[in-house]
Amino acid sequence: MQWLTPLVGVYAALVAIPLLLLLYFLKLKRQEMIVSSTLLWKRAVQDLQVNAPFQRLRRNLLLLLQLLALLAMLVALAGPVLALSRGPGQRYVILIDRSASMNATDVKPSRLAAAREQAEVFIESMRGGSLFSLSDASDHAMVIAFDEHAKVMCNFTSDRRQLVAALEAIEPGDGPSRLGEAVTVARAFAQSPGVEGNIRSAERPAQLVLFSDGRIEDLDTIVVAADELVFHQVGVSGDNVAITAMNARRSYERPEEIEVFVSVVNYGPEPVTRDVQLAIDGDVKTVRSVTIPGRQAEPENGLPQPGRVAVNFSLSHEGQGVLEVRQVGDDALAGDDVAWSILDPPKRLAVLLVTAGNPVLESALRGCPIARLDPCSPAGFDAMDPETFAAQSDYDLIVLDNHVPAHLPRSQYLVFGAAPSGIDVNTPGAIENQVLVDWRSQHPVLQYVNLTNLFAARAQQLELPRDAEVLAEFADAPAIALLRREKGAFLLVGFDVLQSNWPFEPGFILFCYNALDFLGVQIAGGRERELAVGESIVLDDLPVDTSVTVTRPDASTVHLKAGPGGSVRFPGTYRVGTYAVEAPGRALQFYAVNLEDAKESRIEPQEEISFSSVTIAAEEQAVQRANVPLWPALVLLTLILACLEWLAYNLRVRI
Amino acid sequence: MTASRSTTATKRLSELLDPKFMARLDGLDVLSRKILQGKLQGERRSKRRGQSVEFADHRPYVVGDDLRFVDWNIYGRLDQLFLKLFLEEQDLTIHILADVSASMGIGDPSKDRFARKLAAALGYVSLVNNNRLTVSLFADGLRRQMPNMRGRNYLSHMAELLLTTECDGFSDFEKACRDAAGSRVGSGITIVISDFLFKQGYESALRRLIGAKYDLYVIQVLSPQEVSPELAGDLKLLDIEDADAAEITATSALIKYYKRNLAAFCSELKDFCTRRGAVYVRATSADSVELLVLNYLRRIHLLR
Repeated sequence: MQWLTPLVGVYAALVAIPLLLLLYFLKLKRQEMIVSSTLLWKRAVQDLQVNAPFQRLRRNLLLLLQLLALLAMLVALAGPVLALSRGPGQRYVILIDRSASMNATDVKPSRLAAAREQAEVFIESMRGGSLFSLSDASDHAMVIAFDEHAKVMCNFTSDRRQLVAALEAIEPGDGPSRLGEAVTVARAFAQSPGVEGNIRSAERPAQLVLFSDGRIEDLDTIVVAADELVFHQVGVSGDNVAITAMNARRSYERPEEIEVFVSVVNYGPEPVTRDVQLAIDGDVKTVRSVTIPGRQAEPENGLPQPGRVAVNFSLSHEGQGVLEVRQVGDDALAGDDVAWSILDPPKRLAVLLVTAGNPVLESALRGCPIARLDPCSPAGFDAMDPETFAAQSDYDLIVLDNHVPAHLPRSQYLVFGAAPSGIDVNTPGAIENQVLVDWRSQHPVLQYVNLTNLFAARAQQLELPRDAEVLAEFADAPAIALLRREKGAFLLVGFDVLQSNWPFEPGFILFCYNALDFLGVQIAGGRERELAVGESIVLDDLPVDTSVTVTRPDASTVHLKAGPGGSVRFPGTYRVGTYAVEAPGRALQFYAVNLEDAKESRIEPQEEISFSSVTIAAEEQAVQRANVPLWPALVLLTLILACLEWLAYNLRVRI
Repeated sequence: MTASRSTTATKRLSELLDPKFMARLDGLDVLSRKILQGKLQGERRSKRRGQSVEFADHRPYVVGDDLRFVDWNIYGRLDQLFLKLFLEEQDLTIHILADVSASMGIGDPSKDRFARKLAAALGYVSLVNNNRLTVSLFADGLRRQMPNMRGRNYLSHMAELLLTTECDGFSDFEKACRDAAGSRVGSGITIVISDFLFKQGYESALRRLIGAKYDLYVIQVLSPQEVSPELAGDLKLLDIEDADAAEITATSALIKYYKRNLAAFCSELKDFCTRRGAVYVRATSADSVELLVLNYLRRIHLLR
């Protein structure tokens, strides 16, 4: 036990104890009473004193109790604390991991709650500034919660209640855990004087206190000093069965057919048998029982690899819906037991071809699996009112064949030859006799397309904005580029196909197929409504000030207003589940937020974490309560002693 | 005039004694355990043989004896002179010593009232049976004394004496007994009514009263508050007589010791009396005087 303010206690004792003794020795004011004779009373008193030596003690019991009560108060004034850490005030940055793996329930109620609890103990153990303290040795701390991003819950303060409130305010998330940002933020804040402006302590480096299960992705990119960070490990078990990948797609040939691929992973050492169920809009369609092998060491390097099983479902579903795959079974982490996918109704593209006459292009497009192809003359396209076109036409894709239109309705564009104006692309001149020198064969648009023999007799010299993605290049200028603008995606081909030998190449047909498929995905949207945790839900093309309602998986709702650009952005997809978005004039749209993160699903707690420079082992002992002020207990003791004194006094008088 | 005095006496006396009670007392008489010699021929047998009708004994004649008591029949038969001895019936002197010190005024009901009623009852019995009655009230010595009363006519005097004396002053039992014993002549019964809570002690004083010629009855009167005190808290007890203070904290233990002391005190007094042929009677002021007189005192043969 240590003392915060011993002198105060001593001074108070010097005054109070003699005072109490003085008060005690002052005569008790007795009630006077007349009796016929004091003869027998005096004898009785004598007898009492002679025969009962205990009575003297009893007589002094009151004084004893009073002295004890006073002593307890004085000791409380001296400010005793349990296990004091010495030295000037320290600064701590409490880093709380709130990533998906911290939702594991292998420690009850959850790892995050356990981490929070440990952090609370840590905060309670901080030295607070005593009321009578002569030296300012109070500790300061700040709280940062992190998953993929860091969030400052509380700046440096010595107010423990504020810190605990900040801890309580940490909400669990389903994101991946990345510590880099948190460390950067912590160091930035450690330079600042903090809430209470304690400049002096700002000179000392702050101690980072990390509460995590150690499953952090970017540890090898962070540099910390060995004594800068203390790691408190949370979690006990790594047993978990997770759905780490799920893909549902309609067959391109038969759109009502849906193929679902699910990857189920077992991180535990024992094989487990689990039911994997598939449901659409909550209706269970099929259940399949799978046995997943346990974790095994890899033969090459001996690293343990989790057991993995791929499950395929195929079913027929015409309409739209929310597809849910669930691993039915109890395990530590619930967030990765389920994955969702948004099914759109099967859709084929409606394509508008604006051309002065290009049978090659037209026939190539007609060969692709599209709903319809409407040819249109350039004059006819320019004559259309852009407003009515946008409102009435249902074209998903517009192919511009060497035509610069007067207006650009919002759509996806495949452009051959001259680039349209208004998309930051300049064509200062033409170039001749070009061959392709480089192209990105990995890009979906150029998949399986061989451009080796392509020769363009005449091409536009494209000057692209910096955000354009060049897919193929001539010697002097880009040949094929992808550009995204507010009005849509533009796939620019810098030459007229009729002025090249491309129509004679098989690659041309493949290119058209790929381009339609690629641009079709841009509009089909099923993919873009499957988000990772933390990815924003974005709605475009809304009238200004439209009210949009987002319903979270836990049924809480958020109301948003469309900005001046007509788009709405909802970044709060921190938990997995399906988010429903309701906008006036549109059908209810669902967004699926899936964990599908093998790193977060691997919840086995790490005994040590390896940074790029040092490896820090978890603290062996849980956080101990230190610096616990004992004065409340002493005040309680005083109260009890006062009660005892009252009792003793009453016993003495009444019975 | 005698009638009127008698009426006032009864009237005054009725303040102390209930008329019904007085009527029952009329049938009683004071009884001495020792048959004692009185001064006047009374209604009681005396050890002194004398002129009486009741024969007691014979004894040989010696010169100087009254020839009137010679039994001539025996002289005729035996030719010797014998005197006839008769038991002489004589009166009885009753001395009532009542304590009127300040301590007797304490208690609820008051000890003093009880003592006076008792004294009045005993005095009444004495007077109506033509005994010689002396009533002494003492505190720090004999305060007032009314000696040698005889006959109903003195009832009023006795009543006046008992009613007009205040409880006051500290007690000096020794001096009172010395004076009382000095004023006592002849033989008879002495009845002392007091609480006997004398700081100087009662032993030497009572010894003065005990003698061959007198029966001694000691009646101790205590108040119920003295017998079982109901006190609580820190108290300063003040002695009413000498203002002596005793600071006590009324605990159960203290009360227990007090009661034990009181019992010891009473039994000491009783032993003292019994060993010296005196009779000890203890009463509390809450008791009924009537019951005490009509039952208890008769049972111990003070009254008949």
